[in-house]
Amino acid sequence: MLLMIPLLGALLSGFICGMLGYYVQRYGVTTLSFTIAHSALAGAAISLVLGFNTTLFTLFFAVASALLIGYLTSKSPIRRELICMGLFSLLNAVAILMLYMSSTNVLSTVQLSTILWGSVLAITCEKIIAIVTIAATFLVYAVIFKPQIDAILFDQKLAEAEGVNVKLHSTILLLFVGSAIAIILRITGGFLVFSLLYNPVASALLLSKRANIQQLISPILGSSVAIAGLFASFMYNLPVGASIALLSSVTLLLSYVSRVTINYMLAQRSVRSKEGIGEAFTVHLNRVLIYQNVSDTVRFITVPAELPTGTGLPSETQRSPINLLDS
Amino acid sequence: MQPIRGEAVRLENVWITYSGAGKPAIRNINLSIPFGVLTLIRGPNGAGKTTLIETCLGLLKPIKGNAYLLGVNTKDERIFEVRRKCSYVPQDFMKPPYEHYTAKKVIEMGLSSNRVITDPLPDYFQYELEFYAKELDVLSLLEKPIGILSGGQQQKVFIVRALIRRPKLLFLDEPFSSLDKESREKVTEIVVNYIKKHRGSSAIIVSHSFSKIEEYADIIVTINDGVITDIRFQR
Ligand SMILES: Nc1ncnc2c1ncn2[C@@H]1O[C@H](COP(=O)(O)OP(=O)(O)OP(=O)(O)O)[C@@H](O)[C@H]1O
Ligand SMILES: [Mg+2]
Repeated sequence: MLLMIPLLGALLSGFICGMLGYYVQRYGVTTLSFTIAHSALAGAAISLVLGFNTTLFTLFFAVASALLIGYLTSKSPIRRELICMGLFSLLNAVAILMLYMSSTNVLSTVQLSTILWGSVLAITCEKIIAIVTIAATFLVYAVIFKPQIDAILFDQKLAEAEGVNVKLHSTILLLFVGSAIAIILRITGGFLVFSLLYNPVASALLLSKRANIQQLISPILGSSVAIAGLFASFMYNLPVGASIALLSSVTLLLSYVSRVTINYMLAQRSVRSKEGIGEAFTVHLNRVLIYQNVSDTVRFITVPAELPTGTGLPSETQRSPINLLDS
Repeated sequence: MQPIRGEAVRLENVWITYSGAGKPAIRNINLSIPFGVLTLIRGPNGAGKTTLIETCLGLLKPIKGNAYLLGVNTKDERIFEVRRKCSYVPQDFMKPPYEHYTAKKVIEMGLSSNRVITDPLPDYFQYELEFYAKELDVLSLLEKPIGILSGGQQQKVFIVRALIRRPKLLFLDEPFSSLDKESREKVTEIVVNYIKKHRGSSAIIVSHSFSKIEEYADIIVTINDGVITDIRFQR
């Protein structure tokens, strides 16, 4: 029973991060959410030093930075990534300086180690209710605005050209991300919360190319690594945040290896299934290069790795033969 | 959001530079396109045709000068509302084989600019969908995932999506690039008829090769190396 609360907390944290992380990827706002995560950390550090309510202040910082970034990137001609990285450096510097200048008794508190490294004890019933509320609100939002969100997921530029308010939906997404981070920050620690937002979805993108499957497995992976990390931290007495982050990184690495292996096998099948199409091939992450000998020249064609064999082999338009000897 | 009457697009001394690029992609562009006309933009690769179209739509913002879409400055906060009266078929429309949305769903998305799940599709949707899909010979493909359609078939799906929005202003960037001769003529005919039927609507078509559309174009804009070198009014 004592384990139930942390377990549920880890499960929900992983789920919501995997779910939101998918949209973050597809909307192309990864850097923005990275900055928001670190802004939340700065907020937590400042609240600790000044003695404010940490959760509320972290939430305020995360939300404020989401809005600020949304505003700045729409107003300024400077590239969004540059703004985010500038802000990220500034916020981290503020966080560290605040902690450095604060009295030594802050530095030795459990709370400080919680916001930096995370803690299982930070998972409380209130937090679980908060996470469930955020996840449920997001799901309701995603269902209501499905037509517009689908248009953005399918082709963001076209959606923008057709008058979908992409900026508004990106900002709404970042607000959800900011709120979730503010809650989860003290479970995984401020430096590692981003790994839960990034690694599960990055693994999902490698494991499947189909958006609907990616969307499904990303939260599942998120929950799994969060729970596994929690157990690892119990068993080996490790910091919970680092355990989760490490496991999510291992998952990412394994996903990468399996993607490369799958591509290799697919390529072997396609080369075999159509005689004469190629004698040798190399596999890239999602393209297969097939070399062929045509009379006395060598040509190569590239095909997407997922193309099924036989009937699905590249049609003339997908084939792009390049004459190596000519070029 | 009151559009100025009389001009679909107005560009005043517009300069566009891509971030990171040293030299501007288009320079000193002045252009006025009225309602109810077919405009052809032509020029060699890299001339700035796509840049020009995306500037009209406000997807790219001028570093100098002003661009107006249906009378509204594209720097205006609420430009996205004006875009709802426009359609766009981008040049790089091709989707990878694993894209799972069906062709019909992709066309339906064209009507989602400010739709929420409970809003019904307009009552003309089904009729016009079937009409255009039949004309362009993609009716039997509507339930298939867009990614597994051929390039030309995908391009037709995007053209149907653009038309079904009943736009006041239709932007087509190299809409013939993947089409066979027959389909090119069909698309030309459909666009010309669209402008005739929806009085006051304009179409702006980029095409550097296909000449058939020239016969129907009211305005032919030639762009070369980032500047407009010729504007010709026909009829
Ligand atoms: N995203 C970008 N970043 C930097 N430079 C760009 C970008 N897109 C286009 N350019 C440059 O701007 C110029 C105009 O490009 P644009 O795509 O408008 O040409 P185009 O007339 O549409 O050519 P095409 O016939 O090949 O479609 C080119 O010199 C190109 O190199
Ligand atoms: Mg172009």
